[in-house]
Amino acid sequence: MWENRCKIVVSGVGYSKVSRMADIPLAAHALEAVKGAVADSGLEMSDIDGLATYPELPATGHAEIDGISVVSVNCMMAMLKLPNLTWHIQVGTTNIGGAVQQATNALLAGVCKYAVVWRAMHNPRGTYQNLPGAQAAGATQFTAPYGFGGPGQGMAVAYTRWLEKNNQTRDKMATLAVTQRKHTQHNPHAYFHGTPLTREDYFASRMVAHPFCLFDCDIPVQGAVAIVLTTADRGRDLKPKPAYLAGYGQRLHFETAGRIGSLSSYMEGGSSSAKLTWERSGFTPKDVDVAQIYDGFSASVIYGLESYGFCKEGEALDFIQDGRIELDGDLPLNTFGGSLGTGRIHGLWHIIEGALQASGRAGSRQVKDANVSFVGASAPIVTGTTFIFVSEPY
Amino acid sequence: MAEPGRALPVPTPETKHFWEGTAAGELRLQRCDSCGKNYFPPKPFCATCGSRKVSVFKASGKAVLWSYVIHHRPVPGFKPPYAIAVVQLAEGPRMMSNIVECEQTPEALQLDMDLEVVFEKQNDTITLPVFRPAKG
Ligand SMILES: [Zn+2]
Repeated sequence: MWENRCKIVVSGVGYSKVSRMADIPLAAHALEAVKGAVADSGLEMSDIDGLATYPELPATGHAEIDGISVVSVNCMMAMLKLPNLTWHIQVGTTNIGGAVQQATNALLAGVCKYAVVWRAMHNPRGTYQNLPGAQAAGATQFTAPYGFGGPGQGMAVAYTRWLEKNNQTRDKMATLAVTQRKHTQHNPHAYFHGTPLTREDYFASRMVAHPFCLFDCDIPVQGAVAIVLTTADRGRDLKPKPAYLAGYGQRLHFETAGRIGSLSSYMEGGSSSAKLTWERSGFTPKDVDVAQIYDGFSASVIYGLESYGFCKEGEALDFIQDGRIELDGDLPLNTFGGSLGTGRIHGLWHIIEGALQASGRAGSRQVKDANVSFVGASAPIVTGTTFIFVSEPY
Repeated sequence: MAEPGRALPVPTPETKHFWEGTAAGELRLQRCDSCGKNYFPPKPFCATCGSRKVSVFKASGKAVLWSYVIHHRPVPGFKPPYAIAVVQLAEGPRMMSNIVECEQTPEALQLDMDLEVVFEKQNDTITLPVFRPAKG
């Protein structure tokens, strides 16, 4: 087991308003989320001495303008003017889970005491995936001429293969979309809070990229979330009950041609990351009380459940049936609604929910007696980062 | 003004041999002379072993349909719904492409079906390799 298990905690969490369009600059969303997380911890902004983020613009073909379409560490530093800042980073791989892991390492190394991690997501006006136009340069020369332009299509290609290979149909995915939307009704910060979804809605919805219909895709939004991480001894003295980080793992993996992941590449990425997390924490999938698995596109949950070891390869769509992923089921899943419910904020919200469930702070969606709380914070086909939070050190 | 067409590749020194090949009616892949791996997309080194001893060879043009997505959103040069396919070439590598002379439906697009390359000339310099159901 990991010698540093339960030495780092998630303390406060914060959210901005999640809106469909970019009505205010993204920097304002990020600032609102960061201030919220610091206040939730009961800290002063001057206590914060570490900053980390992953400032990727998820849509393609748009300009990266700091404070408008991304919020870099520089941008946050300029806004906060932290008097005691001692450490900061923005990661380029492993998505936001990697930023949380780097903050963990910095705290363990003693180079900062209270680190804030945020993820701010922009929804550009006009076309979300701005295709390269007449010229397909660089790697896109082997994809764009065939009408390919976004990660959803890449996920869908692997999903088509998965369905066919395992003799399954997309009908069973309705259970995931409908159950997660039910969970969303317990999360007032989510974009789809107040908007239920029925099985009939799922089956009547238009196709976006077959086999994905509209409700297999998270809706692009503008918004931000943030967390405060600190050491366990400091976290115990703060306002909220902390969630202890029992272990984490990471693995970057995808095939190069058009970011099209094969089934073997998602299994390899997810299982490698999860294996580290199981070994470091000492837990197994059977010990998990509640799970958050990245769901930017619904099929990502299949890849997660199978590669992390919650069920066998080819069985995930059967695994999620019969109430298993409900709040009182055997494996409550994406209890905050997932990205399908909150809107496209990537994996930091999954990490927030994993921490809230472990610390008993999830309100009306709290899973009873939740102790071992698992998070797969990004698609294992792209960047597998995984985490386990627990209620108390062990 | 004419409708904007599909995005066309901009060859680079590393990919020039591939696009010269398609213009000449050949599907050209690369092979690592050190570890023997056939690979695509073009690179001046082997991504598997790092060797710079690589050569270009003419592929058979035979493939099977590995998977696909049927896209329903508007994209310049395409009439939705259209399929974006990933084909598995007989020589090993996978390649993105379109499937022609075939209905763009799940019923018609059978996974692992045999395919063969056809070359679609776009202009004087660019010819795209696409695939159709094999004619035996
Ligand atoms: Zn080699």
